[in-house]
Amino acid sequence: MNEKPTQAMPSVEVAAEASASAVSGRPIAIQVNNLDFYYGKAHALHNITMGFPERSVTGMIGPSGCGKSTLLRVLNRMYDLYPGQRATGEVMFAGQNILGTGLDLNALRSRVGMVFQKPTPFPMSIYDNIAFGIRLHERVSRSEMDGRVEDALRRVALWPEVKDRLQASATALSGGQQQRLCIARTIAVRPEVILLDEPTSALDPVSTARIEELLDELKTEFTIAIVTHNMQQAARCADQVAFFYLGELVEVDSTARMFTTPRESRTQDYITGRFG
Amino acid sequence: MTSSSLSPSLSQPADRPQRSGVQALRRKMVDKLATGMSWLAMLIVVFVLGSILWTLLKNGLPGLTLSLFTHSMGAPGGGGGLANAIVGSLLQTGLSILLGAPAGLLTGIFLAEYGADSKLARTVRFVSDMLLSAPSILIGLFIYMLLVEPFGHFSGFSGAAALSLMAMPIIVRTTEDMLRLVPVSMREAGIALGAAKWRVILFICVRAARGGIMTGVLLAIARVAGETAPLLFTSLGNSEWSLDMRRPMASLPVAIYQYAGSAYQDWMQQAWTGALLVTMGVLIINIVVRVGIRGGRS
Repeated sequence: MNEKPTQAMPSVEVAAEASASAVSGRPIAIQVNNLDFYYGKAHALHNITMGFPERSVTGMIGPSGCGKSTLLRVLNRMYDLYPGQRATGEVMFAGQNILGTGLDLNALRSRVGMVFQKPTPFPMSIYDNIAFGIRLHERVSRSEMDGRVEDALRRVALWPEVKDRLQASATALSGGQQQRLCIARTIAVRPEVILLDEPTSALDPVSTARIEELLDELKTEFTIAIVTHNMQQAARCADQVAFFYLGELVEVDSTARMFTTPRESRTQDYITGRFG
Repeated sequence: MTSSSLSPSLSQPADRPQRSGVQALRRKMVDKLATGMSWLAMLIVVFVLGSILWTLLKNGLPGLTLSLFTHSMGAPGGGGGLANAIVGSLLQTGLSILLGAPAGLLTGIFLAEYGADSKLARTVRFVSDMLLSAPSILIGLFIYMLLVEPFGHFSGFSGAAALSLMAMPIIVRTTEDMLRLVPVSMREAGIALGAAKWRVILFICVRAARGGIMTGVLLAIARVAGETAPLLFTSLGNSEWSLDMRRPMASLPVAIYQYAGSAYQDWMQQAWTGALLVTMGVLIINIVVRVGIRGGRS
């Protein structure tokens, strides 16, 4: 790991060491080292170093504008869409620094999937919403495709609700169903990592609960990073929690420790609702 | 002060601003006046439109006979119809959309998705908007110089080319506007699956905007179907039956123009009926657009 002068960000160093052991025994799927991020001239992330353990849920919390979504969008190079946004440092995934040039971004994004705050069903049938992603990366027969679509929909517990109307427009589904469809669409591509950017903030409590249950199920197969504004959600779903404040990673630790004995007073203040 | 439509008879706490009845009355008067003016303006517009339609129906319907559709234009008193003009209009309008729609669609996609705010895009957008408001006779003359004079004769092709120049900027504008309405989140969702940009545009954005884009194409058809000026110097008009687009070709608007200016009773009658046909065609397209939009929304 890249050692930095201690006067830069002492808390980050402590946090980085903790991340490897935060979820016991898990190897790290994505390791972020000394990441800085800029929106034009605005410096949005300061020297972030943390690891995302394999097959577990990392919750990212912090007040609005603290940079947690920004970090998420670095992990699949989503920021590349916008000129003027740039990242420096290192993000190691599958033995490669994904911030490097010449990387096949489409291939990266097939391995690091993303689900957004607002459900974004494509203007096509439920079936085609799932098939769209699969067709991008693989050539599969009609019958295999049927199987893959059914499998993805079963994984998100949407199959019983839509199996009789696979050819109906996806936009006719309810908000919660749409979000589960978007998750199904993401896992159908068979990524290794799933990034979720406040996936339940537009949903009702029942739909939210279903998605949270789903995360528990999905983490047996995928590495999950979830940005959330909801502290209870982080406590319920995450194995490891990272707290961001003003573009800095204040602390990252196992969920139990973060919510019981945080090392930083800022973390304590935030999770007890004193600010944010 | 906060708005107050509450009746002044309600008791008001002393520490709040006292809402005077005079002010409320004045607001009501202004409201009534503005509403009244809007109604008046609307009635004038509807009256004008209604009277045009009424005049068209009154003068056009008596000439609406079967022979109008089966006979080509003929000498005054010779019992001719408008069959060649109707078919000529369909052919030239159809070809103009076949030419103009792909070019307009691709330009609109370029402006919305690739060009964005580049210098090239801003120039193209400006030129396209200029074309949108260019006098149609000028477009006719332009095509005359380009396609009629060099070949030495008028032709249906050049008529269609002139109409396509009119249709293109309409399609460019609606395509760009509709694509811009597609939310960023939809594009990001496509990109996040690992789709290349062109796939996201073609299979997600254009699909999401297809209702609006189709509307633009239909509106372009409605617009060019009734154009006379661009055809005067290009397809000229033809009183005989002809499907050969290399030769001069008849069209409804030009036929109306010729007949309406004549001194013959039966030609004038056919001009009215031709005008009715064009109007009905445009009306039907507009209705299709509206029903289509409603269907697309549900």
